[in-house]
Amino acid sequence: MENKTADSVLKSILSTNTSKTTPAVPVPDWSTPLGGHTSVPIPTNPSNMTVSIPGSATNDPFVNITLQNCVATVELGCELDLMTINFRTRNSEYNPSRFSGVIMRIREPRTTALIFKTGKIICTGARNEQDALLASKKFTRILQKLNFNVKFTNYKIQNIVASCDLRFPIKLENLNQMHGQFSSYEPEVFPGLVYRMVKPRLVLLIFVNGKVLFTGSKSRQEIKEAFDNIYPILKSFRKN
Amino acid sequence: MSYQLYRNTTLGHTLQESLDELIQYGQITPQLACKVLLQFDKSINQTLATRVKSRLTFKASKLNTYRFCDNVWTFMLNDVEFREVQEITRIDKVKIVACDGKNVAEEGSSKK
Repeated sequence: MENKTADSVLKSILSTNTSKTTPAVPVPDWSTPLGGHTSVPIPTNPSNMTVSIPGSATNDPFVNITLQNCVATVELGCELDLMTINFRTRNSEYNPSRFSGVIMRIREPRTTALIFKTGKIICTGARNEQDALLASKKFTRILQKLNFNVKFTNYKIQNIVASCDLRFPIKLENLNQMHGQFSSYEPEVFPGLVYRMVKPRLVLLIFVNGKVLFTGSKSRQEIKEAFDNIYPILKSFRKN
Repeated sequence: MSYQLYRNTTLGHTLQESLDELIQYGQITPQLACKVLLQFDKSINQTLATRVKSRLTFKASKLNTYRFCDNVWTFMLNDVEFREVQEITRIDKVKIVACDGKNVAEEGSSKK
């Protein structure tokens, strides 16, 4: 009996020892830049993408960019009776005096759809492109079940919001002075610096603590390009 | 016209039963019964809004379903705990129908 417990303790020690022999620096998955896809969706979380740092001289060789929101639109090609939808579906709100569309939510993937009379749907809140597509299809299916003659057309991702942490502080004041044509920094209005990149055309919110928010992009590729553009700039405005 | 949703309470049900009985025995006319019910709607709405001071809190573990239609909120709640100072009651399923209290100075009702 005692032997057995000792044995299991030994086993657990052994197993922890083996797991400790991981490399000191995390090894990124480099097998990516093929076929235009530069991002690596980590299998456990498709909202993450790992991006190597351009001209990586720093001690950590990649940055995790996390997708936070993905907005998609789809056209169903038929007129919708919003009253019927509101009566016959769960988790829907319809208050025509406040907003002309039905607001409907589903739990998996956790998203919100705005459904309009014209048959257009805006699906928001998805964490990544796959979820946005799945959610749009689910909303379409819900409406199809109500006997609307729906078609899934013109599906398009309209906006992707992503964030990342560079883990070094940034001199926003100086950055604003040097990049005044792209940036606006009004710390009394908003603590972040707003950087309107021209190519790719998207907006970055840059914060003192090194956190960066990407918004207004239509694809991961654009976020990746924007990151490649902004990283050397931010590095040169690193505090201390 | 005030909300008629309180007719679906114990008080409303018993009143309706009594009125039905009186109509059957020919002691009142259906028109009068209708008038009484409308007065009941008015009174209960006003009384609940102005005279009831007691407070009760409740918390659900899950909001199963909600709907907002014609200015009426409908909530289906699971595992709800009602609490009034020390008294605690737990109920598996609760449906809440809530109307806008602003226009008639009156509260929404909840019923099981």
